[in-house]
Order: sequence, then structure tokens, then C-alpha cells
Amino acid sequence: MITVMRRFGGLAGMLAIVLFFAISLPDTFMTLRNWLNISQQVSMLTVVAAAMTVVMVMGDFDLSVGSMASLAGIVAAVLFMQGWSIPLALLAALGVGLLGGLFNGIMVSLVGILPFVATLATLTVFSGLAYVISDGRTIFGRDIPAAFGDFARGGPNLPGGIALPNLTLVAALTVLVIWIVLEQTSYGRRLYAIGGNREAARLAGIPVMLLRLSAFCFTGVGAAIGGLMYASRVASANPTQGDGLMLTAIAAVFLGMTLTRDGQPRVLATLVGVFVLGVLDNGLTQMRVDSYVREVMVGAIILAAVGLSAIGRNGLAGQLRR
Amino acid sequence: MPQLDLDRISRAFGAVQALNGVSLSLRSGEVHALMGENGAGKSTLIRLLAGLDRPDGGQITISATATHGLTPAQSKASGLRFIHQELHPVPGLSVAENMHLDLPYPKRFGLVDWAALNRAARKALDRLGLGSLDPRTPMTALGSGDQMLVRIAATLVGGDGTPPWLYVMDEPTAALTTAESERLFEVIAGLVRQGAGVLYVSHRMPEVVRLADRVTVLRDGEVVSSRPLSETSASQIIEEMTGRQLDAIFPPRPTDKTVGPMVLRIAGLAAGRLKSATFDLRAGEVLGVAGIAGSGRGALLQAILGAIPRQVGQATLGGQPLRSSPVGTWAQGIAYVPRERRSEGLMLRRSIAETIVLPHLGALARAALFLNPTRQRQVAKERGAEVLLKARSVQQACQDLSGGNQQKVMFARALAGTPRVLLLDEPTRGVDIGARVEIYRLIGQLREAGLAVILASSDLPELIGLSTRIAVMRDGHLAEILPADGLTEARLLSRFYHRHQEESLSA
Repeated sequence: MITVMRRFGGLAGMLAIVLFFAISLPDTFMTLRNWLNISQQVSMLTVVAAAMTVVMVMGDFDLSVGSMASLAGIVAAVLFMQGWSIPLALLAALGVGLLGGLFNGIMVSLVGILPFVATLATLTVFSGLAYVISDGRTIFGRDIPAAFGDFARGGPNLPGGIALPNLTLVAALTVLVIWIVLEQTSYGRRLYAIGGNREAARLAGIPVMLLRLSAFCFTGVGAAIGGLMYASRVASANPTQGDGLMLTAIAAVFLGMTLTRDGQPRVLATLVGVFVLGVLDNGLTQMRVDSYVREVMVGAIILAAVGLSAIGRNGLAGQLRR
Repeated sequence: MPQLDLDRISRAFGAVQALNGVSLSLRSGEVHALMGENGAGKSTLIRLLAGLDRPDGGQITISATATHGLTPAQSKASGLRFIHQELHPVPGLSVAENMHLDLPYPKRFGLVDWAALNRAARKALDRLGLGSLDPRTPMTALGSGDQMLVRIAATLVGGDGTPPWLYVMDEPTAALTTAESERLFEVIAGLVRQGAGVLYVSHRMPEVVRLADRVTVLRDGEVVSSRPLSETSASQIIEEMTGRQLDAIFPPRPTDKTVGPMVLRIAGLAAGRLKSATFDLRAGEVLGVAGIAGSGRGALLQAILGAIPRQVGQATLGGQPLRSSPVGTWAQGIAYVPRERRSEGLMLRRSIAETIVLPHLGALARAALFLNPTRQRQVAKERGAEVLLKARSVQQACQDLSGGNQQKVMFARALAGTPRVLLLDEPTRGVDIGARVEIYRLIGQLREAGLAVILASSDLPELIGLSTRIAVMRDGHLAEILPADGLTEARLLSRFYHRHQEESLSA
């Protein structure tokens, strides 16, 4: 019974949150339209947090995802201005994400800088580049092709006449790809092994350096996709629009880790973490809770979830003894 | 000189006679090793000494005062101190504060006198030759080895009553690395020089041979033997612990007929600590690697594996040049069981199955990429059964296993890829004697099956009992290769220092 509580306590808490909103907002909350809306609201965060999971599996971090998202949006917008076609501009922006990730990977894996320090530095570098390329301006209006902005607003129709947002589809696809990579391929299991014990992995013939390097590429590309989704949604690009993503993404991964049996990051758990944050945001907004108060509440809920999970794992006595 | 005598001590738990008429004398100024298999009665004896349990019969005499049983307070007041393998330090506090946990802090005007506190700690640390430890550093900054040394030093801080004179150490090196163990041994030597006695409980033969003045062997709650180390040997102790003859412990040595074709050829190899090594290895052969700590035993294995970059020399496996990194050599058919299994081998919180298949993920996957969990579990189960792994299921986390079973996981992992050469670094370190015999039998079976094995070990009976030939390492050089058949421990040991002896003779 106690183990069941420990295992599923986090999940129960999350269901309780959903239940609370469902009762408080009986007419609007538990509707398909609202849930599709939530899924679209969190789609960027989903992509970035899923990509973040790839490096966190190895015990690493990437703090530069937010500024990479901004940079990718800016790159695409600037290329639109220069008359590039949409696919080419998007591909170039994704290429920038790949290069940025590769650079992070080289710094962490080959040069051997702590991920925290290396990606904190590239956070500033990418952000600065976004300002330099855009002259610090927001690119919007006629500079952005209509088809690019329309993508985020469109989506295939579901029976009942509601559209399934394209952004939700992109997020689902990204999660699926990363789930396959992490859970269904030997590549992913090797990343988990590195997270478990890096030296042991090396001695067991795991190419640790190469794998760490490549994992950061996933995060770079994921951040770029997230940035492009955002740019499409607001049909504009500015050098600060990805700023909030990094902390929220890391929070989502940590929330997810409280759900897994062994406390490891898993991408589906991350997805649940993302939805908890999304549901809170959506529900509290509908209840007209002031946005500053909302931030306090979201932070407190994260603390409560992670804290309760730690106590559940070791028992309160175990925590006190440590 | 204080002395502690146990006279015909007995203790039964239900129908199980944990101790049966055990008599033992512990004196200051010597290291007394207490050896025995799991369940031989060592732990019960320690609990009686600590006052955590009382004997059913017999008498305990400490410095001419006889009693039928101790309380924890009496035990402490008589100068007994207990160092267990499990440490419970307060990580946030400084070293000095941890040393004063059960003592009043020195005070001045009602406030803690930090200078005096640190001075007292400094004095105690210095007495053990631990000048490099700063009493002000937080406990967390120390490795588990240093934390244990601090614990020992803490017994020397202040306090009233009889000063501590007898240290009971229960498997103190179980959680320590080799280097940390070395420092502990130096501290033990220092304690003994200062007149303390040590009851050293361990099943690690090399440590006992090195540290002990007297050895007492327990089996099934009774004393099998108790005599000075000089009158016994590692092989004899093993025989007494197990009640079996040594040749029943080690698998039969192969004859020439069972040795197969050449597999591994190493010529003039140097890498890191390894300065030079040249040898050939045939299928069905076990090459022992012997030498003192730091002589390059482990470096030889890691150089073959490619874990440390090879500088010069050739290494070929079945005629093909050996690749330069563990990624390549595992793929070529080299398998490795590391010395420090906790830090170099296991992902403690991960499952047995995950650990076993790790080096073979590519080979076990569909299209070399997509996992096949059914096949993984099957391989893990089969290999686990082959090495006689005792676990609830292959999904169990490695940290829940005993040392012996953790080591079997390492063997299962090495064997899952059907290797051609198996590199073993201290394969029975921290493994109880029961699991050890099973590992010996396994090595024998692998040899029979035509695997070539390189076995680096500090355990002399093990080297002599398992190897066909033994390579002796001296100062990073593979100095000579001796046939193991007919070799004695004394003769092998003398080869460790061979050149030093020649030098001292010619000087």
C-alpha cells in the first residue's frame, strides 16, 4: 500500500489538480476544445522539454535552449526577409539549431567544460547572436510569409468541427521520435548508462564522448523547432521570445522524474510534467487568478511535488537523517 | 598492558548455535584477524563485545575484571571501540565537529570555542598521521575512506575513563577503494605502534595476510584455529574457513592437451603505468598477473582493453591488430571485469538486465539500433543462470545485491558477448568465500570451453590455484612468467621483490 502511494502519489496529485479545475470550471474546463487549446499552448514547451530530456538522461543540462529557440526564430525571419522560400529558411534555422547543439556538445564532451557552465555561456552567445542578426528588432507583419503564420493557426479537422492544431501534431511527433530514440534504440539505452555511471559505461565499451556530443545536437534541434513553432504562432520573431522556455522545460523534466519508479528522466513522464504546468496555467487563467500570483502558485506546486516525491522515496525519517 | 579474554563463550538463537565455546585472547599492540564464512559467528561475537547482546554461557575478562556479559556503556568504559563498514557522518558539519558528535564541545564564555575544538581534532588526526586532513573542512568533501579515518581519529579525542585500546573493525574496507584501503592500513599500523589492539574482521585474504599478527578462524560458531600468522598461510586459512581442501576449491589445472591455439599476442606494450609487457596467450589458458600494489597489474589489463592509451608496442587478437579504445576492443571480443565494481562497473540503481546487456546493446538490437527487450531479458536470464546469480529477478536493482552477486553480474555481462579473451581484475575482491568458490568454478569452466583468461589478483592462493602461468609485474614491467604448477606462495611472493633483493645483495 505504501509503495503504491509512493509510486502513484505524484500521479494522484496531478489528477487531483485536474479534478479541482473540472469542478471549479464545470462549463469550460473538461471540454475537448479546452484540452486541444492546452495542447497547443504547451506544444513549444513539449518539444523543448522532450529534447531537454535527452541530455538530462545523461545527467547533463542544456541551459541554452531558450536563447537557441529565439535565435532559430530570428534566423528564419531574417531569411524570409531576404526572400528565401519557407522550407529552405526553416531548414537553415534547424541547421543553426544543430550547429548550436554540436557546439555545446563539443564544449561539454571534447573540451570537458561542465554542462552548466558551457551552456550558460552559449545561452549568452546565442542570445547575443539573435540580437545582432535582428538588430534587436521584432520582425513581423509583411516580412513574415502568410503561409508560415497560418500553419500555427491551422490543422486537420476532427469530427465535430474542431481543428486539431498543427502545433499539437508537431509536438506529438517530436515526443514520439524522442521516445523511440530513448526507449527503443540501443543509442538511448547507452545514454541512460552514461547517466548511471559514466566511467563504468566507458569501460564497458560505450563511446561516451561521441554519445554525449550527439545528444546535445538533439537538444539544439529541439530548441530550434520550439522557436520556429513559437514564431509561427505569433507570426513574428523577436530575440527574447524564447527566454522563459529553459526554466520551464527543466521544471517539466523534474516534475516528470517524480513519476518514474527509479527517478530517472523519461520522455513520457516529461510530457506529463509539461501537461501539469499547462493545465495549471490554463485553469488558473480561467479562474482569473492574477498572473503574478499564478507564478507563485506554480512554483509552490513544483516544490510540493518534487519534495513529496523525495520524502516518498526515502521516508521523512530518511530525509531528516541525511 | 590491557587484555581481553573470552572464555568458552556460547550464544544460541533458537536451534542455531551461533557461538559454541569460543575462547579468544585480544591483546594491545597486535592486529588479531577474525576470519570465517558468512554465518560462522563473527557478527554475533562482535555484538557481544559491543554489549548489544549477552552470551548464554562463558565469561568475558577485561584487564582482570570478569563478567558474564557487557552493556554498551561498560564496553565503551573498558576502552573498546567499534568501526563498522557503514558510516553515519553528519555531512554538513566540519570534520572537527563530526569528531565531537558524542562529546561536549569545548566552550568559552558559554559559546563554542572553535579554536579549541579544531585544536583537539587536529591533535587526534596528527596522532594517526593524518596531517593532510583539515579539521575545518566539511565532512561531505571527504571520500568514504577519509570519513572512516576521521571516525577512527574521533575515538582519540578527549573523553574520560579508560582510553581506547581495542578497536574492533568489521569489514572496514568493504566500501573503500584500493587507495583508500591503503591509507586505512597505514592508520591501523600507527594505532598498533601506539599500543592499541585491533580485532580485524574480514574475509579479504590479502588484507589479513598483510595486517594480522594473529589469525583466528571461526567455522559454524567454533574456533577452528587461533595462531600467529607466521605459523599459518593463506591457503591453510581458506581450508580452515571452508572445511575443504584447497584442490577442492580450485578447479583442476589444465593439461597441455586442453590448451588451444594462440589468441592474444602482446609485444613491447607500454601505456600509462605499464612500462613494458610482452607475452602470448592461448585459448584455454589462464594467465595470472601478480605483483605488489602499483606494480602495473591493473594497468596491463586496461592497456589491453584500450581504456588507457597505448603508447608503443603491438597488440594483436587472432592476428588482427587490437583496436585502441574499449568501444573497439569489446567489439573484437575482449571482455573486462573491472576492479572497483561499484565505481567502474555497475550502475547501482539500474537493473541487473540493463547492466548485463549494456556492452552488447548493438549486437542484441534489431538492425543494430532498435531494442529487443525480450531477447535482452532472455540473455540476462541465461547468463545470470550460467554464473549462478542469486536474485529475485533480472529486473532487480544492482544495489540490492551482495558483493558476490554483484560480481556475478559483472561476469554475466562480460560473457554475454561470447568473448575470446576475458580480462579479470581482482575478481573476488569483497566477495564472500561461498560465492568465491562458485566464481573459481566458473573460471575453470570457461577455461575448459576454450576462453583465454587474464587474471590480475593480489590473492596468491587464487593466482596459483587458477592460473596456468603467472606473469610477475615489477615497477610497471612484466618481468617474468612462471609456470603456476608447483609454485608456492612464498616463492611467488619473493619474485615480487626479486630485483630489489639483487640490488641489496650487490650493494
